[in-house]
Amino acid sequence: MRNRALKVLLVEDNAGDARLLREMFITERPGSIELTHLMRMSDALAHLAKGGVDIVLLDMGLPDGHGLDTVRRARAVAPDVPLIVLTGLDDEALAAEAMKEGAQDYLIKGQIENRALPRALRHAIERHRMQAETDHIRMSQLQFKDEFLSHVSHELRSPLTAIYQFVTIIQDGLAGEVNQEQQQHLEVVLRNVKQLQAMINDLLEVASVQASKLLIRLERTSIVDAITYTVDTLQGAARDKGITLTAETGGALPDIWVDATRIRQILIILVDNALKFTPTNGTVKVQARRWEQDPSFLVIEVADSGCGISADKTELIFERLFQVADPALAARKGLGLGLYICKELVSRQGGKIWASSVPGEGATFSITLPVFSLSRLMAPAFVGHKYSESQITLVSTEVGSRMGWLSEKVRADCSNWMRDVLQRCLNSKLDVLLPDMGSSGATELFVVAAVTDEIGGEAITKRIREKLHGSHEIVQADLTFSTCYWTLPPVQRNADESMESFVEKVAAKIQESIDERSSSRMVKI
Amino acid sequence: MSNKKILIVEDDADVRLGLHVRLKANHYDVFFAVDALSSLAEARKHEPDLILLDLGLPAGDGFVVMDRLKAVPALAIIPIIVVSGRSGAANRDRALKAGAKAFLEKPVDNAELLAVIRQALGETVKRERPLVHDLGTL
Repeated sequence: MRNRALKVLLVEDNAGDARLLREMFITERPGSIELTHLMRMSDALAHLAKGGVDIVLLDMGLPDGHGLDTVRRARAVAPDVPLIVLTGLDDEALAAEAMKEGAQDYLIKGQIENRALPRALRHAIERHRMQAETDHIRMSQLQFKDEFLSHVSHELRSPLTAIYQFVTIIQDGLAGEVNQEQQQHLEVVLRNVKQLQAMINDLLEVASVQASKLLIRLERTSIVDAITYTVDTLQGAARDKGITLTAETGGALPDIWVDATRIRQILIILVDNALKFTPTNGTVKVQARRWEQDPSFLVIEVADSGCGISADKTELIFERLFQVADPALAARKGLGLGLYICKELVSRQGGKIWASSVPGEGATFSITLPVFSLSRLMAPAFVGHKYSESQITLVSTEVGSRMGWLSEKVRADCSNWMRDVLQRCLNSKLDVLLPDMGSSGATELFVVAAVTDEIGGEAITKRIREKLHGSHEIVQADLTFSTCYWTLPPVQRNADESMESFVEKVAAKIQESIDERSSSRMVKI
Repeated sequence: MSNKKILIVEDDADVRLGLHVRLKANHYDVFFAVDALSSLAEARKHEPDLILLDLGLPAGDGFVVMDRLKAVPALAIIPIIVVSGRSGAANRDRALKAGAKAFLEKPVDNAELLAVIRQALGETVKRERPLVHDLGTL
């Protein structure tokens, strides 16, 4: 039983209603309730932010706040304080919505019994406490489960390694000759080893998704390349099953702003899934186009002619551990983690994923991915910065090899640590590290930093040079580098021009300047 | 020309044996250490051309082993390939930063393992040969 006074915050702009509510507490033991009454949402939020409130009684029609918005704002400031909304007689539907937003209860004005109010408050607090406790237990269980999952997955890898090693030792004839039938049996073992390995990898991936350890590196990348890679990778598997696998990427598609490796991973999961559920002679088609609903996204569809998904399952399939119920269809497919991983990966890159289907005629999985936009990338550097008086300097760093070309792997490694080096040479509030702006030929990396600072160019160039001179990655990979900077003519911002359109104008200038320079370099070579 | 020497640091006996057979068949002389402590002594004794290192070991993990090897000039130059059940970019980055030539996740594909070993040793491909009788020598 609590001894101290219950601190109630009443937010109500109608003085009459407030007085009626206040009177309801009169019968309570003196000192058991401490009531603070405020009339405005802004005052209430300030009061809540200070802490110390046990429960809020909130009117949903205030001079500076209305409807569900009041509930959301109060919850945002004080998520741990239980909240009861006060509504009129005809607003019960709204009150129900408020409960979904996290309100503990609602009371209808004019229908509150004197003695019932304090009791309602205490019950709301108790319910809230139990809820918080349940949440806490759930969270720690989840965390335990993730640690457990990660540990078990690691431990499973050693025995699996031993099985793989000895099966292949026998298979390769290192322990004596193997006849054809034995060879076939060993193939089965090996196939199952690979399946187990894939499952363990899925488990680890899910554990890192849950622990938010998943690393996403956004870069400017081509969706066509990702689709081509996926179709090429799985073409063999499709052929084995007698399925026609095709890609359709009609028209020129803009680049997207995503993690290139993760996009391939997502597409592989989706196409692999489509192949599993499509019978012989069926088709699987991958398509990409601008998204009709929002042209700043591309939509990529993986459509199959398989058994389809019943309408009530199209959302469930993205849940963790979801399994197809029909054993004839499911056979032994895995852990039911693939689509869940897809959903997490897509949403962390700013996209959406959904499935649609006509049962019996096939299913279509769609994902949306953000189109690369230079102006969107640069916008944060322009916030609160008096750009109009200063110039923009571009710094470019090129990395090449003495051999004249860089292998794909060196390029990938190189671009990762180069980005880290460059990032450290910039002022994070003013400067923007641009993605690989490409078009400088296949032999070099071309990274550009846009600097929205007058004197930045020279200083930054010097800093980058110093860092790269001492870099043992450069020496070890036997690479060469050069860094230079150039200044753009100032871009005028018109008096009535919105920041958005101005940033777009600047971005266009930057792009133009980069294109110009890279094309003149191409000619030189 | 004599065979190149590889030290395998691995606590799982079966995995150790599997590596032994595979590497012997590919003309390498193989030595073992089963934990962090013995790995340094074995490295001093045999002066291997290459070390295959597991990360999860009793008595100090693979990172400890790498640190200790780096502290001894004669051993610091031996190329190290990490073969681990641990995964993730963090472990990979840490291992490479600590000086490992490569980071491979278990189970490692045989062809990949051999290619990485050859690359680290600066070798060209040799033919694999059966070695039935060697199984009993461990």
